[in-house]
Amino acid sequence: MQVRKRNGDTEPVDVNKIVRAVERWVADLDEVDPLRVATRTISGLYDGATTAELDRLSIQTAAELIGEEPQYSRLAARLLASYVDKEVRGQGVASFSQCVRYAHGLGLIGDDVAAFVARNARKLDDAVDPAGDLRFEYFGLRTVADRYLLRHPEIRLVVETPQYWLLRVACGLSRTPAEAIGFYRLMSSLAYLPSSPTLFNSGTRHTQMSSCFLVDSPRDELDSIYERYHQVARLSKFSGGIGISWTRVRGRGALIRGTNGKSNGIVPFLKTLDAGVAAVNQGGRRKGAACVYLEPWHPDIEEFLELRDNTGEESRRTHNLNLANWIPDEFMRRVEADGDWSLVDPSDAPDLPDLWGEDFDEAYRVAEKKAVKTVKARDLYGRMMRTLAQTGNGWITFKDASNRLSNQTGAPGNTIHLSNLCTEILEVNSDAETAVCNLGSINLGAHLTADGIDWDKLRQTVATAVVFLDRVIDLNYYPSAQAAASNPRWRPVGLGLMGLQDAFFALRLPFDSVPARELSTRVQEEILLTALETSAGLAEEHGAHPAYGETRAAGGELHPDLWGVEPTQRDRWAAVRERIAANGLRNSLLVAVAPTATIASIAGCYECIEPQVSNLFKRETMSGEFLQINTYLVRELKARGLWTAPIREQIKRAEGSVQGIADLPGDVRELFRTAWELPQRALIDLAAARAPYVDQSQSLNLFMSAPTIGKLSSMYLHAWKSGLKTTYYLRSRPATRIQQATVAVVAPTDAVACSLENPESCEACQ
Amino acid sequence: MLLDPGMDLTLRPMRYPRFFERFKDAIKNTWTVEEVDLHSDLADLARLSPAEQHLVSRLVAFFATGDTIVANNLVLNLYQHVNSPEGRLYLSRQLFEEAVHVQFYLNLLDTYVPDERQRFDAFAAVENIPSIARKAEFCFKWIDSVFELRELKTREDRRAFLLNLICFAACIEGLFFYGAFAYVYFLRSRGLLHGLASGTNWVFRDESMHMAFAFDVVETVRREEPDLFDERMRREVIDMLAEAVECEVQFAEDLLGQGVSGMSLADMREYLQHVADRRLAMLGIQPIYESKNPFAFMELQDVQELSNFFERRVSAYQVGVTGTVSFDDDF
Repeated sequence: MQVRKRNGDTEPVDVNKIVRAVERWVADLDEVDPLRVATRTISGLYDGATTAELDRLSIQTAAELIGEEPQYSRLAARLLASYVDKEVRGQGVASFSQCVRYAHGLGLIGDDVAAFVARNARKLDDAVDPAGDLRFEYFGLRTVADRYLLRHPEIRLVVETPQYWLLRVACGLSRTPAEAIGFYRLMSSLAYLPSSPTLFNSGTRHTQMSSCFLVDSPRDELDSIYERYHQVARLSKFSGGIGISWTRVRGRGALIRGTNGKSNGIVPFLKTLDAGVAAVNQGGRRKGAACVYLEPWHPDIEEFLELRDNTGEESRRTHNLNLANWIPDEFMRRVEADGDWSLVDPSDAPDLPDLWGEDFDEAYRVAEKKAVKTVKARDLYGRMMRTLAQTGNGWITFKDASNRLSNQTGAPGNTIHLSNLCTEILEVNSDAETAVCNLGSINLGAHLTADGIDWDKLRQTVATAVVFLDRVIDLNYYPSAQAAASNPRWRPVGLGLMGLQDAFFALRLPFDSVPARELSTRVQEEILLTALETSAGLAEEHGAHPAYGETRAAGGELHPDLWGVEPTQRDRWAAVRERIAANGLRNSLLVAVAPTATIASIAGCYECIEPQVSNLFKRETMSGEFLQINTYLVRELKARGLWTAPIREQIKRAEGSVQGIADLPGDVRELFRTAWELPQRALIDLAAARAPYVDQSQSLNLFMSAPTIGKLSSMYLHAWKSGLKTTYYLRSRPATRIQQATVAVVAPTDAVACSLENPESCEACQ
Repeated sequence: MLLDPGMDLTLRPMRYPRFFERFKDAIKNTWTVEEVDLHSDLADLARLSPAEQHLVSRLVAFFATGDTIVANNLVLNLYQHVNSPEGRLYLSRQLFEEAVHVQFYLNLLDTYVPDERQRFDAFAAVENIPSIARKAEFCFKWIDSVFELRELKTREDRRAFLLNLICFAACIEGLFFYGAFAYVYFLRSRGLLHGLASGTNWVFRDESMHMAFAFDVVETVRREEPDLFDERMRREVIDMLAEAVECEVQFAEDLLGQGVSGMSLADMREYLQHVADRRLAMLGIQPIYESKNPFAFMELQDVQELSNFFERRVSAYQVGVTGTVSFDDDF
């Protein structure tokens, strides 16, 4: 078999050559068999393939062995890094400073950053860590290579290596080379990563680095609605995720005085929004995304809950929008008491969206006299649960807790009207101000010692992270005037956490254990406390944020006080209180636990505060499909001599569960339960325990394989009673699955025996 | 007995509750063509190499008529002989699903093949493209084999019926479609044609159910009339599968003929033989090829998916959730 080289010549395929290429990367990977990768690569090849195809195929081949041996993930990542390296060097780039100059010439890099790098070329070039790429897992690096690295505008080749990329991101946010190098090292160690918009855009010509935008509901008039479409499109174009309320817009059947007609309600307008969001492609890197919030007293609430159904009239379906319920406590109280619930048109009660707590309750009771319809509160609640079960969407978020427990709602007139696309951001906004938040997350898995958390390192990471999150606010490009009006006044940031599950696995704490809950609460306390200390320091240097006087902190109330909890680190809290009383805070909000879908992959850790979904699963992204295996489990099984083909097959057959592996002791099986196997009450209780140290909110997914209305209604009532501000997706599983193609067939006689487990539906038993 | 001629209308007492369970499960998997976003595929199509484009165009041409053939056989040959009202409920549901699949692939062709002339050609593939025509002939041969049967009176009738059922479950849905899905998943594992892959994923989920139902019927008949499953039957099933593998290998020669990196013809042949062995195993017959699955990307189809909602629509939800509001359920 022949391959075509890059210069056009052909040569015979040589196994040894591939073996040697692989051997370069396996010094610390003792389980990898280079010959196996080489022979399998050749078996997938065709006569006359190019060497570039051969290189790509060897990466793919290594990646396909991950299910057997996780070390192949590192190998595949390194082969990919070397492939990218070749591509970059092929364009004449041999150093970081050359890379920035080249990319600047192509119009990809901002002038300031180009000049900064040119001035400090030597220092920055020397800072690049050649070992940095060795830390990536395959899925992470593939994601980076496909979507984060800058590409040549015409020939579409990658123009920067992964390490150049991180250093470029650091330079985009730094004032001195020392600052840039320090921040680069933190990111390169994968202990902390800013959110995707920052990773995409820092140092480029369009420095939109914020993740979240919270847009107030359009006013109840056509011009305002169309202005919002425009705003959403612009925010979305520059990588922002959008939350937008629609509560102020009148419902179906309400009178329109100007034309003496009746309104068609909010659904047709949301259909337009849906199309608008789908049309915006964020630079080919991901699709635009938005979540619409509605309060449950809106007359169109029932139609709203059907927007994601897959049956019914297509003109009343919005497949691209996410949906969330913004629920006042009064609704939950009526659900509990089995009372009636009135649907009220916002044109009859225009102040309701701006009220919360007792003010809302009072105004709502007055507005009920003009109700357009009355329903049983439980019927509507049940409908919400059904939407969750069938679509995962229609998130449950609580208006009163969100406002009561916020630093930003200290002054009258400042109301939080909604959360964001991922339900972790809670910030005040208005017609004139669109709330903005930029995010970053700490990888807790990278802050461990042999027997616990490396607290010093954690403190250092938080301090660095807050400085650079704060920096974004001044350097950011704001795609809308409303966003530019809000962010400098409030200067909120959202420092999050990922890899909590990694820490629990490493320390052998079952997710639902008391020590796990205590550890997660202590970690969160440390993060908020250090963040407050850092922000107080920034205020001492640069002054408090302009709206500081309107915050609860200005009145001496910090977030744990709002919850009425007693923190553990009393001296430090007392000290930071004094500093805040003297000089205020640079940031009105500091902590938000974001879902970290993509950056956790890059860092190679479990997502945010979530339990593992499965010990073996695949990720589907725009880059393709990737097998993910629990390396902690593999280590455990290897240590016990149980990492064998039959056990692997058993895990696969059980879709990533180890509960059926009889050879594993009970405590190990308990440790390696999946999100589907954990009591969801524990997830809620963990979230509630850390909530006093999260001044915004948390993207809390809940998991139920086979949801019923009864289970869901119990679960979300518990979430409300626990004081949670928001919840996120309800994850469930399909009723049946595709027949497994690569596990052994169960012979017909066995199948009959198996169904004994389900006697009611088993024909054999009747 | 299940294959006794007649029109049983009695759902209580239910003779085959398992069929009814399958009917209910199928309803929970309802999806519609509008949920599949195909337009992102167009950019991918433009990026493919000529060899890969050839693969996709052939594949699409096969999909254009494949499900229609299955639907026809279901109506013309299966429904009348499965004498169980709950079994017929399932078959009715299956017929609906086949119709959705046909609609999906129609939509796919309209999107992928903008030129009307070429679109007509794709639908005429069963006549014009030899590798697809051969598969169609195989299907028609088995449709015709029982087409004249009005009732399954004799042992020979029942044997003929079973062979038709096994042919459609094991060879057509279980091998032709599984072969086609392998190409789709190969592309998806490389991040290509997500629209096609997500629709196919749902089609595949349905087809898995169809096949499982058909094998349920086979096993039921085996319990009720074990003597039908004799040596002759075994030999005929093996011959049938071997012929199906040959048809599908010929199709693969056409699809992969121009050289597709990561999917060699030798691997595809081995994969098809492996699938055929699995079908035999499901029928309690010893494997004839002893081939292993060479495609690691197919293993990805066997594990839970987790999508980032920024990236693509999640397909893991169920329709038809039941229950009433309550506050003391366990969760």
